[in-house]
Amino acid sequence: MSEKPSVRTITEQARDIKVCREADVVVVGGGPGGIGSAIAAARTGADTVLIERYGHLGGMATGGLINILPNLSDISGKQHIYGLNQEIIDRMEKRDAAFYPRKKDWGTADKELVDFYNDTGLNLFYVRKDPNMGGKERVMYTAVVDPEVLKDELNDMVQEAGVDLWLHSWGTRPIMEGNTVKGVYFESKSGRQAILGKVVIDSTGDGDIFVEAGAEFDGELNNKYRTAWMASTFWMTDVNIKKADDFKASQPEKFAELMQELLKLGGYPHYLKGILGNQRNVLWYHSFQIQPEASDGKDVRELTRVDVRGRKRAVTTYEFMKKNIPGFENCYIMQTAPQLGIQGGRRVIGEYILDDKDMVSDEVHEDTIVVLANNDNGEISARHPSICIPYRCLVPKEVDGLLVACRAFSSTDSVNMYFNIIPPCIAYGQAAGTAAALAIDAGVQPRKVDYKALHKNLVKQGVNLPDTK
Amino acid sequence: MKTIKESARETKVVREADVVVVGGGPGGIGAAVSAARNGADTVLIERYGYLGGMGTGGLVTIIPQLTDYTGKQQIVGLTQEWIDRLITRNAVDYPKKEHWGSLDKELVRYYFQRSFFMTRLDRVVYAAIIDAEISKYILNEMVQEAGVKTYCHAWGTEPIMEGNHCKGVIIESKSGRQAILGKVVIDSTGDGDLFPYAGIEFEDNIPPNFRIANLALCFWVDGVNLKKATDFRMNNPKEFWELNRKAMEAGGQGGFMPSNLPDQDAVVWFHNRFPNKSQVDVEELTRVEFEGRKKMIKTYEFFKDNMPGFEKSFIVLSGPQLGTRSSRRMIGEYQLTQKDLSDNQPFEDTIAIFPDLDRGQESLDHPNMYIPYRCLLPKNVDNFLVACRAFSSDMHVQDNFNLIPHCIAFGEAAGAAAALALKAGVGVKNVDIKALQKQLAKQGVPLPDVTKKVDYKYTGPALVSSAFTPPH
Repeated sequence: MSEKPSVRTITEQARDIKVCREADVVVVGGGPGGIGSAIAAARTGADTVLIERYGHLGGMATGGLINILPNLSDISGKQHIYGLNQEIIDRMEKRDAAFYPRKKDWGTADKELVDFYNDTGLNLFYVRKDPNMGGKERVMYTAVVDPEVLKDELNDMVQEAGVDLWLHSWGTRPIMEGNTVKGVYFESKSGRQAILGKVVIDSTGDGDIFVEAGAEFDGELNNKYRTAWMASTFWMTDVNIKKADDFKASQPEKFAELMQELLKLGGYPHYLKGILGNQRNVLWYHSFQIQPEASDGKDVRELTRVDVRGRKRAVTTYEFMKKNIPGFENCYIMQTAPQLGIQGGRRVIGEYILDDKDMVSDEVHEDTIVVLANNDNGEISARHPSICIPYRCLVPKEVDGLLVACRAFSSTDSVNMYFNIIPPCIAYGQAAGTAAALAIDAGVQPRKVDYKALHKNLVKQGVNLPDTK
Repeated sequence: MKTIKESARETKVVREADVVVVGGGPGGIGAAVSAARNGADTVLIERYGYLGGMGTGGLVTIIPQLTDYTGKQQIVGLTQEWIDRLITRNAVDYPKKEHWGSLDKELVRYYFQRSFFMTRLDRVVYAAIIDAEISKYILNEMVQEAGVKTYCHAWGTEPIMEGNHCKGVIIESKSGRQAILGKVVIDSTGDGDLFPYAGIEFEDNIPPNFRIANLALCFWVDGVNLKKATDFRMNNPKEFWELNRKAMEAGGQGGFMPSNLPDQDAVVWFHNRFPNKSQVDVEELTRVEFEGRKKMIKTYEFFKDNMPGFEKSFIVLSGPQLGTRSSRRMIGEYQLTQKDLSDNQPFEDTIAIFPDLDRGQESLDHPNMYIPYRCLLPKNVDNFLVACRAFSSDMHVQDNFNLIPHCIAFGEAAGAAAALALKAGVGVKNVDIKALQKQLAKQGVPLPDVTKKVDYKYTGPALVSSAFTPPH
């Protein structure tokens, strides 16, 4: 009885599906993009539904254990991203669950602080060399948050905004009328049902909705970019980190040798020191799949393989460290991320495609919805510390009734990898939600929304936007 | 009811297998491993990225009720294999074998304090506390070694029906909507998600005072100085319980259990109960997620501020899956009901024996429950088995026998039956029962001699304790 691959199809008959809700705005996916979208749409007056596959909000920031909001400032320390991002951090800080460098230290080259972040392994998120200062390392504004507290805080925020939330619900397919999206079908323990909406926002991360809506997209992933690497993140706790550090410092060769051995066994040697102030002795393993394999987060077979392999890698790492590295004697795996760390996927072809030219243009678009720090391009970053993102990156070219607010925004893969992380996605959502509500109010399609009104409204919400006049 | 007409379409068939198991919880693991080991080309479809269901993602990391009151282990098979694999990785805690069934007061008191699940009926019983993360890995290993083809992150949503025959299932995933065809389909969704579409008769009435009427959102707290907390409880019991009461007043919950797992001596568990209208209603599931998460944070904040030993604690994690306890129950070829609870005779088609431990004197008078194969068979579909808590039972039987080891046992029997039926070229309703029992026995499943009438009367000492109190 061997495997029989198949290209057959079966015919599913037409049928009546229950419409359980009619709303103004339907947001599919409760990750960073979806949260931004839903809260902004509801606050701008739209009757808003948010559909989320898991039992919690936050996507990669919570369920993916990527609890980091990086690049809020540029390398000089100037903050660019405000809006809902800042609001979330402020609210988390009130609960003693957000941690970031003090404001006066943003941009500092102070050796002690720089060393602190280098030592934790979090320098990737906190420290950049500044060509304008002769390559000196400086500390940026990046925040880490407690994922469990964040889940609760996001629940509070969507509830306060009046969003109607549907958890454990998987939005799978758009309801189309010609080239206009009219709602979505979703699956849950209540069976297959439909929710109708005047504007649907695809915040699935992967553009799950826009495919069947007929939107043009680019699904190519280039293995030389981070976006092609899936991660299965896990956290280890009850580690005596000081003891481990001492061992590493006193016997660096022995340590390196052991890490080589771990690699050979299929383990993952790189860890970050958890710096959440309310948690001690915790290590974060952002366990990327072994390169140079490419992967496809939209292929269920590949997701299964990566998950199974990632779990083996976690247990192998845990057992090896426990047995061999001083300081790990009493550790245990405190959790593996319930969601795989997917870093890239489909990208919609929108009214504007963000590409390499934009990295060096400094253009202020009249439909700018957010200014993002441009920190990862060395000399280019030094000359162009920030970039304006136009609203048109969220608007699919052909399809009406649809906006895209997640990492699938309109961009080339070479640019997407810089601007598809958590804070930009929240910002895209904030703009998309606001635009959707304004479009419905004005009785126009989202692509026709008045840029000036959108600008004004976003500024009112605390989004930092340049003068477009 | 407003509806929308969804148009007909062609759905891609990605796989054709012998046995398709929907759901990778305890029932599904049992079913898939058992079917594959018996030679069937087997597919397992799981909604989350890991296997284990309530035993891992639900943070119900307890496999209880494995011995009857005499200390005889009645649930073995794949359940014991899971535990054995945990033992080799030092990731499990359970009473020593020589203590199972012991009436020794000191021992009972010791285990009672160790875990609520380790004593019943004045005696020590075999219950295993398991590590959730290591279990996820071990279960992957078990299905892989058995040759099961697993689809993670895939939600089996609907059966593909042709009259009274189920040809396969529809799955939704990041790959879109796809179909997997199979000769036998096993519903291990926990909730009988396939029943409504397949026209399988079921009931879902649950009185509110039943355990199974409640949902849970379990969570773990680490960084606890457990010795300090325990000393406080022992030396100041009144203040301790007063603080628990105040935690509830503050919107949180009182009461926690120590983890007991190796190296998790600073970890405590919070389990809880949330009444609800239905555990398969998406609006109710959402409401309980909100309520549960709010209560969790309030509990954590209150304990941290007030309870000695919790000063430096933090929430390790909350269960990614709600703790679901019961919903749809099939009305199958045989429905186990209240009257079976007080019958000591095995069925001719017995496929498992479950220790009866939670009903006080009645449990002593009827120490074991026999499970017939027919309670896994729906009436109207000819190639379909149910291997999860949705097995054919009334609310009373369901309330007592729908736990993790029970579901693994349903699965182990269903998987073997499916494979044997396919080999013999018959439907699952016509599988040779004797051959099935022989095979299960070979897999280490204890079964009764069904030819003998059981003559049993309890003759031991009178019962002293309840489930919640140790013997005086």
